[in-house]
Amino acid sequence: MITLKGINKTYFGAVPLHVLRDINLHIDRGELVSIMGASGSGKSTLLNILGILDNYDTGEYLLDGVLIRNLSENRAAELRNRMIGFVFQSFNLISYKDALDNVALPLFYQGVSRKKRRLMAMEQLDRLGLADRARHLPGELSGGQKQRVALARALITNPSIILADEPTGALDSKTSCEVMQIFRELNADRGMTIVIVTHDPGVGEQTNRVIRIVDGRIAPDQ
Amino acid sequence: MIDLISEIAQVLGNNKTRTALTGIAVVWGIFMLIVLLGMSNGVLNSFNEHRNSQGSNMLKVWGGITSIAWQGYKEGRRVSLDDKDIARIAADNPAQAADVSAQVYGSALTVSTPHDYTSAYYMGVYPSEQRQRSLNMKAGRFINDLDLHERRKVVVLSSKTAETLFADPGDAIGSVVKMGNIAFTVVGVYNTEWDQSIYVPFTTARVLAGGGDRIDSIVIELKNVNSEADGTEAETRTRKSLAANHAFRTDDESAVSIWNRFNQQLEMNRGMNILNIAVWVIGLFTLLSGIIGVSNIMFVSVRERTHEIGIRRAIGARPRSILSQILFESVAITTLFGYIGIFLGSAVNELIARLTEQTEFISNPRTDLNIALSVTVVLIIAGMLAGLFPALKALKVKPVEALREE
Repeated sequence: MITLKGINKTYFGAVPLHVLRDINLHIDRGELVSIMGASGSGKSTLLNILGILDNYDTGEYLLDGVLIRNLSENRAAELRNRMIGFVFQSFNLISYKDALDNVALPLFYQGVSRKKRRLMAMEQLDRLGLADRARHLPGELSGGQKQRVALARALITNPSIILADEPTGALDSKTSCEVMQIFRELNADRGMTIVIVTHDPGVGEQTNRVIRIVDGRIAPDQ
Repeated sequence: MIDLISEIAQVLGNNKTRTALTGIAVVWGIFMLIVLLGMSNGVLNSFNEHRNSQGSNMLKVWGGITSIAWQGYKEGRRVSLDDKDIARIAADNPAQAADVSAQVYGSALTVSTPHDYTSAYYMGVYPSEQRQRSLNMKAGRFINDLDLHERRKVVVLSSKTAETLFADPGDAIGSVVKMGNIAFTVVGVYNTEWDQSIYVPFTTARVLAGGGDRIDSIVIELKNVNSEADGTEAETRTRKSLAANHAFRTDDESAVSIWNRFNQQLEMNRGMNILNIAVWVIGLFTLLSGIIGVSNIMFVSVRERTHEIGIRRAIGARPRSILSQILFESVAITTLFGYIGIFLGSAVNELIARLTEQTEFISNPRTDLNIALSVTVVLIIAGMLAGLFPALKALKVKPVEALREE
């Protein structure tokens, strides 16, 4: 599903910063993987590249058979929309839209009709047990509910992978467990490929494979 | 489209106070533009009405006093127009002179009926006078050719004079009025606001004045005149004809005075165009301050929503949809408040129209559909301009912004 070959990335500031050094990585369809590393290790940069939010300097990134390199902004937006479902630490819901509209938003950018995308969004919320919260604004939801809304938004386009950036970082331990439970179910029941970036070992333990990043390199498996 | 509108409604609804405050500047700008256009329309309408009340394709000539010695005559000689001039002007310039007529001005005299009396000036005229002055008959008819030919003692009164002279002005037609000591039959009454003249046949007036062939003024109705040069040519030719008849130099400006209504009209048209342009310029500059306000607020809005724009980009919004959203928001604010301005401006114009119904210098100061349409176009363009730079700024927001902690 994901193949990275010799990825290098340098930020050219006052002092050039070589954040990713020769990253080689393969993730199969249906894997539940966590990427762990200390802050500054380069894991966020890796996530940005995986999420087509940022470019890399050299190497090759194949996502579901599509070579991701030097894409136009429009093409990148389209691929993000169709292939990747994002889940963020701070949920990143749009505060003035209710849960239903937030979940439906990716379909809006696909040009799906209003009626149809509302129907699909409702279905998605229902699966995550939030049907009764559909007309609530994010401010009226608990942290766990918000993250489930964000998950529904990530899932609605039926993406190739789910990319989650510290998905439990803003949640208490009980809610964290619930959210991780959902990730595991999605992976087990629907065969979803899921990549979770985290620095929390507790989260890493619940995934099937842990990739550690140290100083911009993938540490060998222990 | 509905999506876009509901999206915009949501965003604008988020910041009601701010949106409203920004909008007031736009309302004010459009309001000023509409009121100014209404006022200038009123003045133009009033001009036009006055102009139309006296035909515009014509020259009017009066006799004067020579200022240059010529052909053995000394300067300072009075030039009196006479019957020969009418024929000569028509004969010398058949291409441009459509109709040549003349007037004799009578002195003030007492006009009386058994009911009442008044003092008035009378004027001896040709039938064409009615057309030239756009006189609107309230009852009866104007002077006709037969009156002229037979030197009939008939008279056309203004409606105000008729009201004075007759207990029931409806009885005026066919009644006899005494002018000085001579009895005249009333054949017509015309509607009027200002003109109180009493019109009698040209030939009759001349008899009253004691005969002779003296004329007070000549009116030449022009045809085939399209430009200022044509108007000037007609004027020059007329002056030449008269110079030949009365032995003055053709460049002697004071020998006869010629009122070139045609050229004056062209000049007035130019003046009106300038007035119109000036009003648009002033209005648009007033609007500009409103537009800058909108632009400013859109900048603030884009800055506030950097994170939101990042999220939208991350979940698949193309740059174009971000650009168009900001532009549409800007156009929506501008047109929404612009139309409030149009509405208020039109209401004020309507009020002024009601209040000034009786005054002469403003007539119907309203704006028409054409102006509403052009203002709509102006609003949309203005909104686009106001939103352009903020939208370009929004384009620079990278999707990585979504991952940044607030």
